[in-house]
Amino acid sequence: MSMYGSTRNYNPGIALYKAMDIENLPQEREPSKEGGLLVRKDMGMANKNMDQSNPVFRVAKQMEVIRKYRNMSNDDA
Amino acid sequence: MMMLETNEPMFDSPIPGESLTAELGARPWQSPPQYPTVDEAMEYYLSRMAQEDFMVQLVDVLEMDVPVSALANTIQLSGVMQGLHTVDVGILIMPVLMEMIMMLGDSAGVKYQTGLDNPNKGKTRDTLLSKVAKKYTKTLEEVDVKEVVKETEEEGEEEAQYSSGLMARRK
Repeated sequence: MSMYGSTRNYNPGIALYKAMDIENLPQEREPSKEGGLLVRKDMGMANKNMDQSNPVFRVAKQMEVIRKYRNMSNDDA
Repeated sequence: MMMLETNEPMFDSPIPGESLTAELGARPWQSPPQYPTVDEAMEYYLSRMAQEDFMVQLVDVLEMDVPVSALANTIQLSGVMQGLHTVDVGILIMPVLMEMIMMLGDSAGVKYQTGLDNPNKGKTRDTLLSKVAKKYTKTLEEVDVKEVVKETEEEGEEEAQYSSGLMARRK
């Protein structure tokens, strides 16, 4: 019976929150500073794992920002 | 079939046919949502949570030991009922809501319950205890106590006979 968190109903948020692996999210690559005009560039598709069309990825990104801010404020306190 | 027994009353569940007591489309959740995408819904909730009156109420609720997960679920469910977003969008944004609530709780210095841990973890289930007790009672009923006592006495006598070695204590 996995209804903890709520008083009586099943809460899908708990499983979702635990499943969000935001520590291992693919990071955006910094563009290389070296190279001239003729150097081959990654045109936006820096990482194939970063699927912006996936709503879960966008939620995870937002969550990552809030988590960072939360950790920062906890460290300051 | 065994019925699941709960200690809570079942009177607040909808009666059969209750969903048909209003015109189709009359309820807010039956019309197109105000925020159809995850991004729009997140933006709405994050701006709403940044309002001072919301924060004050949220901190009060967290101080009452209401778990963060239950609170986030209630918030998104009320959004669905108001027709702000659909159920799937509400469920998708729940982790963000939980994270935001935790952040607000941390910044207010409230010791809150996340609701992520199972409070019954490590505890022996009541059902298991009653099962064992029932099995034990059944075993006791099957055993003839007089016979067992008699057997035990006989065994005791036999042991007394054989325990007469060199080192045996003399009577």
